[in-house]
Amino acid sequence: MAKLEAKNIVKYFDHDGQPLKALGGINLTVDEGDFICLVGPSGCGKSTFLRIVAGLQKPEEGQILLDGRPIINTGPDRILVFQEGALFPWLKVQDNVEFGLKIAGIPDSERHEISKRYLEMMDLTKFANSYTYQLSTGMRQRVAIARALVMDPEVLLMDEPFAALDAQTRDTLLVEMQMIWQKTKKTIIFVTHSVSEATVLGNKIAVFTHRPSTIKKIFSIENKRPRLSEDETLMKYQQEILAELRPEVKSKGDGE
Amino acid sequence: MKANILAKKIAFFVGIVLVWQALDSANVWSDKVFPSPLEVGESLWYGASDGTLFFGIGTSLWRLAIGLVLAIVGGITLGVFMARVETVNQTIGSIILGLQSIPSVAWSPLAIVWFGLTDAGIIFVTVAGAIFAVTINTYTGVKNINPDYIAAAQNMGAKGGQLITKVLIPAAFPYMISGFKQGWAFAWRGVIGAELLFSFLGLGFLLNVGRQLSDVSQVIAMMLVIMIIGIVIDGLIFKKLEDKVMSRWGLR
Repeated sequence: MAKLEAKNIVKYFDHDGQPLKALGGINLTVDEGDFICLVGPSGCGKSTFLRIVAGLQKPEEGQILLDGRPIINTGPDRILVFQEGALFPWLKVQDNVEFGLKIAGIPDSERHEISKRYLEMMDLTKFANSYTYQLSTGMRQRVAIARALVMDPEVLLMDEPFAALDAQTRDTLLVEMQMIWQKTKKTIIFVTHSVSEATVLGNKIAVFTHRPSTIKKIFSIENKRPRLSEDETLMKYQQEILAELRPEVKSKGDGE
Repeated sequence: MKANILAKKIAFFVGIVLVWQALDSANVWSDKVFPSPLEVGESLWYGASDGTLFFGIGTSLWRLAIGLVLAIVGGITLGVFMARVETVNQTIGSIILGLQSIPSVAWSPLAIVWFGLTDAGIIFVTVAGAIFAVTINTYTGVKNINPDYIAAAQNMGAKGGQLITKVLIPAAFPYMISGFKQGWAFAWRGVIGAELLFSFLGLGFLLNVGRQLSDVSQVIAMMLVIMIIGIVIDGLIFKKLEDKVMSRWGLR
C-alpha cells in the first residue's frame, strides 16, 4: 500500500532573479517497505524533491501525503541523511546519535539504551566518545545513518550519502545499507547520481528527466540480496537506465 | 612552553628593566617625572602591604565580572535575534556598528547622570563598551552556521528555544569566542576608564590618585598591574577556552 505519495510537485529555483522551473510536476508513489532510488541528470532537482518530502522546503504546487495525510512541516517521521552528514562537531558521536531523542525529551537511561543498540549495529561502539573530526568520512556517514535510525522514522530519506566516500568504503556501506533495510523494513528514498549504486540498493529506481523534471520511468529490480556493485546480473538494468538517462543529460543546454 | 621561548621572554623583560634603569641613571628627567624601576616596585610593595592594591584589584575585577557577564548574555541574545529575525537586523542591526564605534569612556557622562557615582554607573559603562563586540561576533557566527546543521536539527524536531541553545549557540561558538575576547578587552578598558572619571574605588581610581598626588611611581605601578591582569585573564581564561573549543572541533 502507498506509504508516501507525491502529487504533482512543482518547484521553482531562483536563477539570477529569474524563476527557473526545476520540478515540473513530480508524481510518485512509494509503497511501505520500498527501497526506492532516485536518479537523474545533475541539477534536475532530485535533492530538492527529497528536501520537499522532508518538509525542509515548500513546493509551489502539489503536496506530499504520508499515510494519506498531507505533510505540512518537517518532522521526525521523515528523517533526512545529508550528503555531508551534517553531524554536529560540538557533540561526541554518542550525543550526536542521541540528539533527536534528547529533543523529544526521552529520559537519559532509555536514550542511552537506544543509542547503544544503533551504535553497535553501525559498528561504532568504540567511537562513542570521539568527536566527529576524529572519524573518517565513512565513519561519519555511519554516525549520520545511526542518528537517523534512532528516530525510527516512517520514511528514511538519504541524499547522496555515499557520494564523498572512496570505492572500498562505499562498497562496504552498500552491503550494510541492504542489511539495515532488510532488518528494519524501513521505507527508504535514496537520491544518488550513481546508476550502479541505485541498482545495487533499490528495489525500485525512478529516473528523473532534465528540468523541469518529471519522472520518466520506474524500474523494478527483484534480484536477491545482498547485491554487489560487480554483480553481472545488474548490468542489464544499468544499461537500460543509462539509456533512459543519456538523452536527458544531453538535452541540458546550460552547461552546468 | 619551550625552554628557548621562555629564555627569550626573560631576556626581553630583563632588557626592558635594564634600559629603564639606564635611562633613569642618566638623569635626563627628574625622578618626579621618570621614576626608576625600584621606585615603582616600592610603590607596589606599599600598596600591597597596606592592602589598598588588593582592594583596588578586587573592586575592579568584581565590576569587570558583572559587566562582562551582562555584556555576554545581552550580546548573545541580541546577536542571535539579529541573525535569525530579519526585522531585528534591519532595525537594531543598523545601529550596532555605530554604537560599537563609541569608546566606552564616552558612555561615562551619561552613566553619571543616570546612575550617579555608583558601581551601577561603572558597570553600565563596562557593559556598553563590551556588548556590541559580542553582538557582532555572535551575529557573524550564527550567519555562518552550515545551513545543513540547522536543517538537520529542525528535521529531528528542534525548534524555538531548543534550536537556539542546542544548535545555534554551540554552532556559532568558535566565532563567539572572538567576541568574548574582544568584549572582555573592551570591558576591562571600560572599567578602568570609568573608574578614572568616577573616582570611586578600583585600579582606575588608584591610578588617578597617583596623578593627583604627583606620585608618578604609583601611576606607572597601576598601569603595570592593569596590563598584567590583562595578560593573565586573557591567557588563563580566554586562550584556554579558545584552545579547548578549537581542538574539540578539530580546527587545530
